[in-house]
Parts: sequence; C-alpha cells; structure tokens
Amino acid sequence: MTDQEAVMLVVNHIDVYRGGLKALWDISISLSKGEIIALVGANGTGKSTFLETIAGLLAPSTGMIHFEGIQINGEPSHRIVDLGICLVPEDRGIFPGMNVLENLELGAFNRRGRAEKEETLCFVYGLFPILKDRRKQLAKTLSGGEQQMLAIGKGLLSKPKLLMLDEPSLGLAPLIVKNIFEAICQINQTGVSVLLVEQNVRIALKVAKRAYVIENGRIVTHEEAKNLLTDKRVRQAYLGIHSF
Amino acid sequence: MFRFLAQTLINGINIGALYGLAALGLSLIFGVMRILNVAHGEFLMIGGFIGFWLFHLYGVDPFMGLPMVGFFLFIMGIAFYKLIFSRLTRFHEEVKLKNSLLIAFGLYLIFPQIAMLLWTPDERAISPKYSGEAIDLFGLRFGYVPFWGLCVAVVTFLALYLFLNKTYFGKSLRGTAESWKAAKLSGINIERTFMITFGVGISIAGIAGVLIGMVQELTPIMGMPWTLKALIVVVLAGMGSIIGAFIAGLILGIVEAVSAIFMGPYTIAVGLFIFLIILMLRPQGLFGKT
Repeated sequence: MTDQEAVMLVVNHIDVYRGGLKALWDISISLSKGEIIALVGANGTGKSTFLETIAGLLAPSTGMIHFEGIQINGEPSHRIVDLGICLVPEDRGIFPGMNVLENLELGAFNRRGRAEKEETLCFVYGLFPILKDRRKQLAKTLSGGEQQMLAIGKGLLSKPKLLMLDEPSLGLAPLIVKNIFEAICQINQTGVSVLLVEQNVRIALKVAKRAYVIENGRIVTHEEAKNLLTDKRVRQAYLGIHSF
Repeated sequence: MFRFLAQTLINGINIGALYGLAALGLSLIFGVMRILNVAHGEFLMIGGFIGFWLFHLYGVDPFMGLPMVGFFLFIMGIAFYKLIFSRLTRFHEEVKLKNSLLIAFGLYLIFPQIAMLLWTPDERAISPKYSGEAIDLFGLRFGYVPFWGLCVAVVTFLALYLFLNKTYFGKSLRGTAESWKAAKLSGINIERTFMITFGVGISIAGIAGVLIGMVQELTPIMGMPWTLKALIVVVLAGMGSIIGAFIAGLILGIVEAVSAIFMGPYTIAVGLFIFLIILMLRPQGLFGKT
C-alpha cells in the first residue's frame, strides 16, 4: 500500500489581488511531502502571483495557507523562508553585482541554512559544477542557463523543505532545460518537495506527479500528470497537438 | 608656487574628506532604502551640537567623544526609522518614496527649530585647546584638527567598506540595495535591514557633524547647505556606488580648493559647474553603474 504521505502545503480557497486588480479566484491546492507537483498555464494567468503569495510577498484577501500545520498567509517573507519554503522567482532573484559564491552564501541567510552552509554548498557544486568553476565571477556575467542554476543553487542554500520554481525553463535552450530538470529530479530525490510553475507544459508534466491547470486566475483542472499528457484539451491548448 | 599648490591640495583633501563623510551616510540610505533623506544635514547638525555639548558641558575631547556621538545618532536613526519611516512599508514603492521625501522634508523644517531652542541661534564652534595648532612639514602647514579629522573620515570610510564587503550582514545590505525582492526571498529580514541601515547612515552623519563643528561654525540652520552638498556629491559619484561617494567628496573638495586659486570667491560655482559637465558627459556619475 502507499506510505503515509503527509500533506505539507495546503492552500485553501485563496483570492489574491495584485495592484488593485483581482488576480486569483478561489485557488485551492495541496502538496504532500516529497512530491513534485506542477501548476501549468499560459502567460499572465496568475502563476507567479500564486507562488509569490505562498512566499509571503503578497497576502491573500481571503482564504488560508498552511505549511506543516502552521498558518503562513500574511507572514513576512523571511519568516516563510525560515519555515522552509523557498521561491526561485521568474527573474531568478539573484544579485547581479555580486559574485556566484556571495550569491550562494546569501541564500543561506536563514538560521537553518547557515548551520548547514558548507554541506549544502558542496551539494550544489556537485549538482552544478559550473557554479564552482565560476564562483568568483559576477552573477551578471553568467549565461542564462548558468544564472538559472545559480538561482536554484541559491534557493537550495536556504535548506528548503519545499522548493518553488517559477518557470525555470524560461528563455533557455532545450539542452540546458533538460539538465536543469534532471537536477530538479535529483533535488527531489534528496527529500525536497517541489512546486513547479511552468509554461513549458510538456516538460513540467514529465517530472511532476500531479498537476493543476490554471486559466485566467482560476484552477480549471487537477489531475495526475500522466493523465494530463494524454488529455485532449490540454494537448490542444498547451501542447499544440491537434487530433483529427 | 609648488608649495602654494601643495597647500591648496592639502586644504582641499581636508574639506573633501568631510564632504565625502557627509555624503557617505546619505548614499548608504539611498542605495539600500531608496529614501532620499533630505534631512540628512539636520542629523549632521545635531551630531555636531551633541559633540559641542559633550565638550563644553562635560569636557569630553571631541575626538574622544566621537564614539558616543556615533552611538547616540545610531540609536536616533533607528528610532526615527522605527517610529516614522517604517510606517510606510505597507505602501507601494512609489507612494513610499514620495512620502519618505515629504517626511524627511518635514524633519528639515522641524530640526532647526528644536536646535534653536536647545542651543540658541548663535553660532558655536568646538574649539579644544589644540584647535589652532599645526605641524609644519616641508614648509607645508598640516593643521592638527583637520588632519585628525581626515584620519577619522578615512577610518570611517574604510570601516564601512569592510563592513559592506567582508561581513555577511554587510553583504546582505548590498544585496538589499540591488533587489528588495531577491533579498526577501533569500530570507533577509528587510525591515530590520532598513532599520540598521538608517541607523548607520545617520550615525556617520553625526560623526561628520562633529568634525565639521571643529573646523567651521555650528548653527541650527547649517543642515540644508550640508544636505545639498552631500546630495551633489552622491549624484556626482553615481547613485549605485555607496563607496564612490567618499571618493567623489574628496574630488569635489580638491576641485573647489584648486579653483579658488583662479576663481576667488566663486569656488562653489566652479564645483557645481564641474558637476554639471561630468553629468553631461557621464550621466551615471563617476562611479555609477549604467
């Protein structure tokens, strides 16, 4: 039978406003410990807003978010990092004027991250050897793929229990995307749960166990990822496959 | 002729160090918090007067009293941030910036009045026994007070540089200056960072105030001229460079002093003129990042 899968993150019927406009309507999702789940949808549908709300950059106007039993909606972002949720945003969230090592080290600012900084740094260098090579280089001089690796590495330095990734494939060549997603799977295997937000539906559905589809600020579907890959509507809308 | 030029250079460096120090705190606060503290000179003035009080009421040598003034103004800065500026946190960035400008302007209106109540509108100076003394080397006059003032300014600058570049917390300040969002997501407590940054910036202003009070007179209305000077230096240095502000201050001091040879009483105009030329040719400032 299935092992005891503890539910880690519960988002309960949240509405979120952004800049005075409503961005999310009645969103509910759940994530269990150790899972990789995906939230897929087109541009501008509210995916980033959703992640930023969990991360504490925004607060929902209604509804609640619980992480490991603790209510986190409305908490400041640094507290949420302390609790074990780390967001790697769409714009990567790195510090361009500082070098790779400084960026990684700043990722470990929270207490838990600081305690295990050296260990985590080793792990990140093992995952992305290029970061070790370029550790004294300014972050702004890195290529797109390298910056994404740095962003993920920096996120790992906070020792997250849940890693949230906002469009890690954005603007990257397919080979780099493949590498990064392999790394994401490796990260998940060490016990870190992953909440993935992607426009690249195909690759998201390949690594995720379950997926939610978001359209215009509302969740429209929630399914096992492998079922969504064969779902006619999804294939048509997002994978550009038309059946005749 | 050479001696005259060298002496001018020395005078320029001495005053330039004070310009740089006055600008350093302003640059730090703006760089990290995007608050243009138009009341910066007011805190500088308060620091100067507190140094004056310590000296005249308690006989504390002004240089020895610097750590006290620095500490007191650090606390003052933190208090002002916590009580006033932090209330703006929940607003949008644009509203936040406009309001912080207004608030600082309000402080600019209030502080001179408070200072006049405490110290009367009269001019004061911090004049310990050694004030007029100087060392004569190679026919050049190194004033005792300006020299030690220069040393304090350089040490403060180096301390800030080391803090920002070699300490973990200092690096988090630099990170915050680059991106609030990235800093927040890294687990940095941004409110606490702002509070400490403001405290440090104000503390440096206070130290500058004491040093200034030893070479020029202190008046309750000296705040705004020094705010403007600091602002010019910060823009000259470029908004991105916290440390560049000190160097730019030195440059401005030297330029003013040297131009006095040719321009007489119009030295300040020359300084501003150079400032305009540099901004035209290099809008991001001398050390600014494009």
